[in-house]
Amino acid sequence: MDTGELLAKPDILPTLNLSELALDMVLMPLVAFIVGLALVLMMRKVRASIERRVGPPLLQPIYDIVKLYSKKTQISHGYMHDIAVMMLLGGYIAAEIFIPVPGMDGLASHADLLTLMYLLMVPMLGMALGVGQTANPNGSIGISRALSAMLAYDVPFVIVVAGAALVYGTTNLSEIVSLQQQQGWGLVQMPLLAIAGLLAMHAMMGKEPFEIYVAPAEIATGPMVEMSGKYMGALFVMQCFQLYTIGVLYTTLFLGGGTQWLTFLPKVFAVVLFSVSITNVFGRYRTEDAIRWLWKWPTIIALLGLAFVVA
Amino acid sequence: MNLLDLLLLLSLLTVVLMYFYGHRREAGWLGVAAYAIQLLVLIKLYSYMQSDRIIVAHLSFSVMEHILIWGMTGLGWFFAVISLGAALFASWYTAGEWQDTQKNMRLQHIVLSLNVFAMLILLCSQDFITLFIGWELVSWASFFMMTHSGGKAAKAAYRYLIYAMSGAVALFAALVLIMVKLGSTSFSVFWAALPTLPDSFLWLLVVLFFIGFSIKMAILPFHLWQADAYAETPGANASFLSAISARMGLFALALVLLQPVGIERLQHLMMPLFTFVDARTLLAWIAALTAIIPTYIALQQSDARLLLAWHGIGQGGLMLLGITVGTPLGVAGGLLHAFNYATYQGALFLAVTAVLHRTGTTDLDRLGGLITRMPWSYVVLLLGIIGLAGLPPMNGFVSKWLIYKSLLDQGMPLLLVAASISTLGTILSVYKLIHNIFLGQLRKAHYEVKEAPWSMVLPMLILAVIGFITGLMPGLALSLVDKAQMALGYDALPHHLGGLEWKTGSLNMLWVVGILIYGIAIGAVVFYLFGGRSHKTHQWDNYAGGHFLSAEVPYHYSHNFYPGVMRVIGGWFRHQTLNVEMGIRHFVQWSAELCCRLSQVAHPTLYMLMLAVAALAFVG
Repeated sequence: MDTGELLAKPDILPTLNLSELALDMVLMPLVAFIVGLALVLMMRKVRASIERRVGPPLLQPIYDIVKLYSKKTQISHGYMHDIAVMMLLGGYIAAEIFIPVPGMDGLASHADLLTLMYLLMVPMLGMALGVGQTANPNGSIGISRALSAMLAYDVPFVIVVAGAALVYGTTNLSEIVSLQQQQGWGLVQMPLLAIAGLLAMHAMMGKEPFEIYVAPAEIATGPMVEMSGKYMGALFVMQCFQLYTIGVLYTTLFLGGGTQWLTFLPKVFAVVLFSVSITNVFGRYRTEDAIRWLWKWPTIIALLGLAFVVA
Repeated sequence: MNLLDLLLLLSLLTVVLMYFYGHRREAGWLGVAAYAIQLLVLIKLYSYMQSDRIIVAHLSFSVMEHILIWGMTGLGWFFAVISLGAALFASWYTAGEWQDTQKNMRLQHIVLSLNVFAMLILLCSQDFITLFIGWELVSWASFFMMTHSGGKAAKAAYRYLIYAMSGAVALFAALVLIMVKLGSTSFSVFWAALPTLPDSFLWLLVVLFFIGFSIKMAILPFHLWQADAYAETPGANASFLSAISARMGLFALALVLLQPVGIERLQHLMMPLFTFVDARTLLAWIAALTAIIPTYIALQQSDARLLLAWHGIGQGGLMLLGITVGTPLGVAGGLLHAFNYATYQGALFLAVTAVLHRTGTTDLDRLGGLITRMPWSYVVLLLGIIGLAGLPPMNGFVSKWLIYKSLLDQGMPLLLVAASISTLGTILSVYKLIHNIFLGQLRKAHYEVKEAPWSMVLPMLILAVIGFITGLMPGLALSLVDKAQMALGYDALPHHLGGLEWKTGSLNMLWVVGILIYGIAIGAVVFYLFGGRSHKTHQWDNYAGGHFLSAEVPYHYSHNFYPGVMRVIGGWFRHQTLNVEMGIRHFVQWSAELCCRLSQVAHPTLYMLMLAVAALAFVG
């Protein structure tokens, strides 16, 4: 087969400044981690103030991570358990690198919105595999519920993504950002899709009322049940990444993305704050109720939004 | 003698070879050599495959003033590559220890080579008559492949045969209609006449072709036969069957109806009564439903082979969906998905067969924890399911991405949502597959189980690695797809090694996979550098509810793995198609019995008299 013809094409490796690339790859995960820590802190503070407590000190998330990583007992249940920990960090780190943020979008053109949507399932799959190897029935039940929840919230989410992609006419995230800078935020252009997206993203965070897969009183925190020491620490770091990714993704899709960090970060915090505020007043849905709810309201809103977009 | 003659001759010789030497232990290796040589001939043919060129074989004869010729275009070539590749790995798999467990290995070798030969004949068809001949050959060849192990398999194969025969009748009717209407059976005359054919006639043709071809592909509503028939076939041949056999329907449908001129015409062919729906949209939705419904049937299966076979049907729907989009992007996606699917589905079937070989069961409720016992099979299954689920970094993602993207570009967001719903169901289902076999509690009975021998592990591992490499560098597979696409009459998709630059959002898998691996590497650094050493426990060291669990207590969470989902969607499965099928079966049985009773038990002379009187009255 003549691969020569293929290789001859010049644009296989784009012209990318090497220092910019290095900056992207090293700084992005770091920024995501630090902002994620702040988001976790905010989440706890909000919860505390709703419950009229003082709440944790500023550095508590860092203390927690240090504590978890320095635990003496760290049980490994086999190689998949270890690899899973790497996969769930790796998937999010890759996603952070591809999402355009102010000043760092050198790689964003190589993976579009659709790619990102499926890339974000890799950490989920990694966690599922790792928990599977721990062989604890509570863990398996947790994963079964987590995947069921994923099936539930991804249906409205996919509709939202499809609608947004139609409105912008592209799935290139950098272009989506620059289009919004010119034409105004997506939130204004497609309010219904934005609302549905917010609801789906809230379910994606796995907080009440959609935290059936953790359900501490029932299945002993599900996927986390066999995670000790640094395994748990990795899950904690993953939570930072997760909050950050969801906030940034929503900001990029509907809140105009960002041209500079000073205006960008408040939007990210606002998205997460919305979720964090509503989460504390809810109990927990059973899996089937969560599915029914997500397939009803967000999906109807998203479909209406899509109808407006197509019409 | 040209290269195509050589290919067909070699393929026929392989059948003969297997007939005489199929009983020998080294027959599997003979098969590997034979298919490898044929594959080499095909590779040699690569440079001949230009958009408007046909390599014509010297095999030719005439029937009723029609001269029948066989020749190969890029489309046939593309599917031939997949067929021979699948046969090569299937044969390799049988070459070692696995054949000792089989009752009649010679028959398996013969039917495999026969299938390959029949497929090559079909793929070389140049008009409707040769297409029909090839079609029948393939149908019968796959029937033999399904039926020879007897028992349940024979029953499933018999059901297939009835479906296939109905399809053949439909196909034959279409052929006769075309011959009467156009006076010719050549494809080019048909395509030239397509834009001007009257709507009613074309509807009839479309329906007949659809019935004929989609039965092979198990497109809705003809999806019932396939899963049982494929799952009951012995492992290696099942991997061949599910990797490529059903794709012959895709090939034929694309060849006959889904050329640019065909898509164009179908778009203007409105449905009677529902005049806002055109035939192309209808076909696309049938394909989308085929992608969804069998996938969620797969989710309910508790047998690994049945689960995979049901997914095969669903993936076929995605391929058809891609081709019905009718843009270079969509067609490339559909065809690439056929190639990618063959790599991971082949690997998955072989891996599941390895589990069957070692443990004696593929029942998902009777396995578990084999990851420590069969690590390589686990790796193969893992890579395979990532491909099947369509997640990066495997190749399944790339072809699905192309299909999603083409649907968006054409402004069909609901079909995109449908395709994604199918993908989500696949993710749930394949996790159940890997969890129930390899993760969780190891059964006491499986404590001594060993990894499958290298003769079995190597072919499936290579298939999985091909899946990874064509995921990392989809350009390699896309350059094969180009040939098929140009032969169909579409523009080739401009691509590079890592994917494509597209104006509405690009994909470069070299970067995606590279960054993903980089991320995992950071994860590894964090894991190994920070925190203390982890202590490895035994697989059976576990607890739940405050009690230690021992191997005596079965605690593997496997049966009814997604109760929450099933409580919502479980009631939606009403077996409508199955009921219709049963209804038809009972009606045929009843009418046959009626005829039998009338002619044998009652009074034939009386009927004769009545008939004669009626005839006389009519004539008079």
